[in-house]
Amino acid sequence: MPEPLELAEFAVAEALAAGASQAEATCTIAERFGAEARGPRIEKLEQSTGRALSVRVFVGGAKASLGTSDLTREGLRACVRQVVDAARFVADDPHAGLPDSAAAADADDGLQIYAEDVARRAAEDKLEDALSLEADVRAYDARIVNSSGAHVGDTLARIALANSLGFRGTYRASSAHRSVGPIAQDGANKRVAGYGSAARGYAALESTQSVATTAAARAVGMCGARKPQTMRCPVIFERDVAAHVLSDIFSALNAANVAAGNSFLADKLGQTVGSPLATLIDDGRLPGGLGTSPFDAEGVPTRRTVVLEAGTLRTFLYDTYNGRRLGAASTGNASGGGIGPNNFFLEPGSDSLEELIAATRRGVLIYDTIGFSTESVTGTYSRGARGFAIENGERAYPIDEFTIAGNLLEMLAGIDRVAGDLVFDSSIASPSFRVAEMTVSGS
Amino acid sequence: MHLDAAAFSQILNRALGAGEYADAFYERRLARTFRLQEGKIHEAGVSLVCGVGIRTISGERAGYAYTDDLSLETLLRTARVSALIARDGAARVDSVELLGEAAEAPPMYETGTQDAGAESATYVDLLARADVAARASDPRIRTVNAFVSDETQEVVIATSEGLFVRDRRPLVALGVQCVAQGSVRGNGFQGDGGRAGIDFFATRTPEEIAREAARIAGVNCEAREAPAGEFEVVVGAGSGGVLLHEAVGHGLEGDFNRHGTSLYSGRVGERVASELVSIYDDGNLPGERGSLAVDDEGTPGQHKVLVERGVLRGYMQDRLNAGLMGVTSTGSGRRQSFRVLPQPRMCNTYMPPGESTYDEIVGSVKKGIFAASFAGGQVEISKGDFVFMLAEGYLIEDGKLTTPIRGASLTGNGPEIMNRVTMVGNDARLAGRYYTCGKGGQYVPVGVGMPTVKLSRVTVGGSAVA
Repeated sequence: MPEPLELAEFAVAEALAAGASQAEATCTIAERFGAEARGPRIEKLEQSTGRALSVRVFVGGAKASLGTSDLTREGLRACVRQVVDAARFVADDPHAGLPDSAAAADADDGLQIYAEDVARRAAEDKLEDALSLEADVRAYDARIVNSSGAHVGDTLARIALANSLGFRGTYRASSAHRSVGPIAQDGANKRVAGYGSAARGYAALESTQSVATTAAARAVGMCGARKPQTMRCPVIFERDVAAHVLSDIFSALNAANVAAGNSFLADKLGQTVGSPLATLIDDGRLPGGLGTSPFDAEGVPTRRTVVLEAGTLRTFLYDTYNGRRLGAASTGNASGGGIGPNNFFLEPGSDSLEELIAATRRGVLIYDTIGFSTESVTGTYSRGARGFAIENGERAYPIDEFTIAGNLLEMLAGIDRVAGDLVFDSSIASPSFRVAEMTVSGS
Repeated sequence: MHLDAAAFSQILNRALGAGEYADAFYERRLARTFRLQEGKIHEAGVSLVCGVGIRTISGERAGYAYTDDLSLETLLRTARVSALIARDGAARVDSVELLGEAAEAPPMYETGTQDAGAESATYVDLLARADVAARASDPRIRTVNAFVSDETQEVVIATSEGLFVRDRRPLVALGVQCVAQGSVRGNGFQGDGGRAGIDFFATRTPEEIAREAARIAGVNCEAREAPAGEFEVVVGAGSGGVLLHEAVGHGLEGDFNRHGTSLYSGRVGERVASELVSIYDDGNLPGERGSLAVDDEGTPGQHKVLVERGVLRGYMQDRLNAGLMGVTSTGSGRRQSFRVLPQPRMCNTYMPPGESTYDEIVGSVKKGIFAASFAGGQVEISKGDFVFMLAEGYLIEDGKLTTPIRGASLTGNGPEIMNRVTMVGNDARLAGRYYTCGKGGQYVPVGVGMPTVKLSRVTVGGSAVA
């Protein structure tokens, strides 16, 4: 089987031969393992090697892209010709094109994105992990009678990028994850919760016991939940759901959305938009981070970017194209044909989550939301939520079937407490934080 | 496609191992997309997904492996990995022998036997027309983005039980997003399409779709913040079907019910909704986005009665879950691609018409919310809690639609809400065909539909507290 770099170079050469003026190709070969346990049984076992090639071609300033899993030479040639043909119907855009020059491909020394223990860990041990997660959540409390399954899995990937400017880069990356979704029986209701851990390798994963305990405690904790009253109050976002809020904020910092007028932060550069506790960082070189890589999807070296500094908006996050449109350099955030996070996070504070709760006289703690934002233009935020009512600095009772609503800009400005519990278990991660006031809609 | 009956037979025999059932799913899906931004064609894309997924079932266990390398040697190696799940089982003596050509699935799609192969200029012209129409319909329109996509998915399904079938599925979509500037910036989206060729847009024109997107953006740019609290809610015909899809449909998928994790588990024959409520799921509506001549396990698409006058009648099943629950597949086994296992999924989910008129329903509400259309929704299966985001909504005051509202979501509990259906309109229709459903990380095209429906009480999650 050809090496990924060889396939990427072949695609670039074919694109130029078909009439492209510039071309770039990324080839990924990934070995994936996944298993699901239910009760005492492994119900699913998946193991595969997948290959994918993505190509961008430019005919002058006209861009077209290709994604294909047919990596035979004939198949690839036919697809590349088709995409170069399609590019001829695209309008000329003076900003479109590869980066200005080919950076030297950085060695990935010190990035720690390939963990040897992923390839070494025996399949039997991984299956045992899944079975342990199932056993442990059921052992936690008699009310846990079922589960939506324990999932374990890992990936070993080789990635290569070549472009017609002469850039050649390759690296290896690994990842592993484990999660479980226990269900507690609460009278006629079923209370489901989920919790998981993900990292570059097994050594950095939370133990199965710890994952199971957190998940089980959440499911049992929701027993007896009721609808809260409609009110304006402080809202504490526990770290998982805090990361979801950050991903909505990331959309507004995505330069493609800014350039399209599709961001509530579009005209706010240089302004103070957040509270002094709101420092947001995108770091593509964080050792061991799940969003860490030596270079981005365009071969631009990754870097650490302070996006929001103590509430002041310093920069958006750019790829080459949107950087040119808005007069800025790429921040190394090109990803999958658009702009994506590397390791995007809120700088942690020093309090614990318990201290945030203790400092809240009357409010809500959220650990789960459902729904998604559609109002990127205005920043309007509204989600279904579950969590706890807080009274006099304590978790008073579990609550569900309500929404929290506000505006992302007001939420950024309203962050008045930040915990220190940041864990980089995703490319967007956050410590728990509190927003001074939002609307809770219940009964 | 060079994989013939003999090759599939070898693959299946290797995959079967000591298991009781094996299948192989070949897919070749070619899609072309064009995107328009700022009045110009901004980007073109070609996507080809091609490979084989191989599955082995042994009791409640499923082994799975896929490959995009279609050499027989790699396919047989992949089949052996799939069979690992069944290594404890008894060795089999009978073997699989498929003969002849794969059978063609029955016709189910409007047109579109072409291989996503219209001239590029055809797609470009559709987008340009949408752009012009959106801008011409409202001077407040500031931004128009539009896309058109055309795909053909060719599948061959072969099973150890001797099923050997092929299907060729077209799918087109055209969507327009507008931003209008009024007292606030307002978003509007509209899309349509279906299992048809690109000729679909000769009758359902890009101009119609674009004007509808512009109209919604125009409404939203003068919308006020939605109120918070509990209200009577009237859900508009068409995209209100998202409510059925989320609040009930997912809970009736066979996997959740086999595992007993759905709140509807073990409740067939019980009253689960107001007797005004019937819910069907249908894979056989010609040309609809969620229709399938055969599902991804080779079972023909079917019309399923899920709820009839409030009584739960049945679940949607794929092969694995049907077998373990002692029933037959309902043709609901779907998968995003050859890289993932099939799951029981919805096709086109809708509620048949009731007896009230739209005017009677809206006229009966003194103070409430009209949810004209939804941008999407999400449900938690075990307890049934859901949330829906409104794309277009209004206050109802004294039986009339008044102020447009923005930023609202509806939240509640599926079975509770279905018991609060107090009026059902005679205006049932399917929504614009652009919905995609996500489950376990797999996305598949679906259809939804509903008549105008009144709900006696729903929590509206706005930010304006009265």
